Parts: sequence; structure tokens; C-alpha cells
Amino acid sequence: MTKTVEEYLQALKAELRGSDSATVQDALADAEEHLRTALASMQEGQPDLDQAQALAQIITQYGTPEETAAAYVEVERRTFSGLTPASVKKTGSWLGRFFAIYADPRAWGALFYMLIAFVTGVVYFSWAVIGLSLSVSLALFIFGLPVMLLFLLSIRGVIWLEGRLVEALLGIRMPRRPLFMPQNAKLLERIKVLVTDKHTWLSLVYMLLQFVLGMAYLAVLVMVFSFSISFIALPVLQEMFDIPLFQNVNGINYYLPQWGYPLAVLGGILLWTVTMHLVKWIGSLHGRYAKFLLVTE
Amino acid sequence: MIDQDALTKKFQKEMNAGIASLVLLSVMEQATEPLYGYQVAKLLEDRSQATPMMKQGALYPVLRSLESSGLLESKVEPSVSGPPRRYYTITKAGRQSFQIWLQAWEQTKSYVDNILKGVSHD
Repeated sequence: MTKTVEEYLQALKAELRGSDSATVQDALADAEEHLRTALASMQEGQPDLDQAQALAQIITQYGTPEETAAAYVEVERRTFSGLTPASVKKTGSWLGRFFAIYADPRAWGALFYMLIAFVTGVVYFSWAVIGLSLSVSLALFIFGLPVMLLFLLSIRGVIWLEGRLVEALLGIRMPRRPLFMPQNAKLLERIKVLVTDKHTWLSLVYMLLQFVLGMAYLAVLVMVFSFSISFIALPVLQEMFDIPLFQNVNGINYYLPQWGYPLAVLGGILLWTVTMHLVKWIGSLHGRYAKFLLVTE
Repeated sequence: MIDQDALTKKFQKEMNAGIASLVLLSVMEQATEPLYGYQVAKLLEDRSQATPMMKQGALYPVLRSLESSGLLESKVEPSVSGPPRRYYTITKAGRQSFQIWLQAWEQTKSYVDNILKGVSHD
């Protein structure tokens, strides 16, 4: 017999053990929203109503934790796999599969993610550093505490946004709703939850690391891209603009002989195609790493 | 021994899979303002006046899956009492889908009705 909303949520969480952690978070948020709203509206009508009784009535309509868990698992199974742009259909030949990467939305998503990771990394990093230093330096004064709490709270928002980006571009399922605080909790309890939740701190680590990763992603991508483009454009550059392949310190120009042109172009195309495969792979790694730091229990 | 109860549950579940989306989309299509989950559940309860075909808890994952398909959109707003609420509104694509689904539903309904009528006459 479930007496409180917390008990129901615990039971639901237990039922969903083994499911995607983002699904669990969504299910808990939905259940909490519904049960509390229903409870509030019932008690409005009958103020002296016993909470456990009212809850029992609500749950018969809402469904037992078992039923609710089953509904989430079912919908998740039906929709998510269908909506994620699945990897492109495997074509027969090895070569076809190799170049099919250009038609793979996941690879382009990962590429885009890695490019904007530099911008988001800078923003996260600055926010984390400003927040941390403000909190620490103002800790001398009494208003340092609220500043720090606001900062910790803001991390959740930032991380939720990052989760949306990761899901949209990398295809890794992330929570669709921010985590709720336990309701009816006293302010102090809420603060305790915020400070003791390991995800608050892991998220902070993520924000700081994103700067380094974003920079590395951008640097490597730009470097490889310019190499590929130079190779592909080499025949045009040499023949039409007289730009040499390479110039040594004494100012002597080295040109690629003409028989090398097809090789250079082919090399450039291959280099970028291999990079696209790598990008897709790194994207999925990044998604798993983000999920590990930001969501996983 | 055949477990009638389990079989019926399974049948109901399979039948509900698409109908729930249609029903929820219809509620959202008629809505004049953004609705949150509990309001949707209440509306269904008031309108159907019959035994609900599914638990209210099962509505939420359907709402979210409609949202991720782009037929609904939502925003979270804090509430005076209790946790923040997710308010859903139908999108333009959602309205279009509803019209098409409605036709599909009418066809299915008359098809099934015709066949079932045949059965009862035998």
C-alpha cells in the first residue's frame, strides 16, 4: 500500500530498474507532476481527506508503479528506435559502405556537434569558472552562500541544454525534462540535495572538460579538413595559380609531378572520408561519456 | 487452461497503441489553451463517461512520444503548488496528422464494424 508520493516514486524507480536512465527520469517527473496535482485538487475539495486514502484512489486511476513502468517501456520501445535516424542501410560492397558515411545523418550530426563544442565549451568553461570564483571569493561574506547555490542550480539548466544537444546531434538518449527537487522539502533539504547530488559536481567537471575537448575537436577537425582540401585542390593550385606543394627555407619550390595529381585528389577524399568515420565514432563516445557524467545513476 | 485475463490485457494493449495517440491528439486539437497532463486526464475522464481504456499514467509517455515526433510541443512552467508542470500544445503538423488519422480511424471503424456485424448476424 502506497502511502506517500515518495513511496510511489521509489516503487516506480524500482520497477524501471534496468531501463534507460533518461526514461526513468522522465517517468518519475511525469508521475510526480500528476500525483501531486491530483492530490492537491482532491484536498481542495475535501480538506480533511486522509492523504493515504486519497492517494490510493488516485493511483487506481493513474496505474500501479508496475503498470506505469510497463507503459513507459512500451512507448520507448515503439517510438525511440523509429525516430532516431538509424544508420544508413548497409549496401553490399565494402566501398559503398565506406562512402555511405556521407549519407549518414549521425556522422553529420557528430561533425556539427564537434564543431560547436568549441563554442559551448567556452561558454560552459567561463560560466563554471566565473561561478566558482565568485562563490569562493564571496564565501567570506554572508551573501556568498546564495550566490553559490544559484550557481549550482544554474548548472542543472546548462546540463539539461547540453543533454538536448547531445540527444539531437549524437543520438544518445538524454533526459527530456530537468530533474525535479523533492517536493514539500524544506529549503535546507533542497540545498542539501543540490550539494550532495554527485551529478551536480560531475556536471561541473563536464563543463570544465568540454572546453578542452571542444578545443581539441576544433583544432583536429580544422587541421584534417585543410589537409584534405589542399590535397583535393592541389592540381588546380599548381596548374592555375602556380602555388607549389611545398617551399623550403631557401625559397626553392617543390611541385608534385602531374602523374601524382589523381593520387593527391584521391588521398584528400580518402582522408576526409576516414575522418567522417572517426567523427561518427568519437561522437558516439562523447555521447556515452556525457551520459555517464550527467545522467547515469 | 487459457488465461483470459492476460490475453484480454494483451489485446487491449495492442489495440490501444495507436488509439491513444489519436485520442490525445484530438484532445489537444480541440484545446484552446496549453494543457498539462493532469488536465488532459481529467478532460478524458469527463468526456468519455465510460470505463477508461487505459490508466492515466500511460497517457504521459504517449504525450512525450507525440512531442518527440513533432506533433505536439511543450514547455515547463512552475506551478503555485507542487512540481513544475509540462504544458502541451498541438503543432501545425499535429493538426494535419490529426485530420489524416481521423480519416484512417473512420475507415478502420467502418471496416471493423461491417465485419463484426456480419459475425453477429450469423
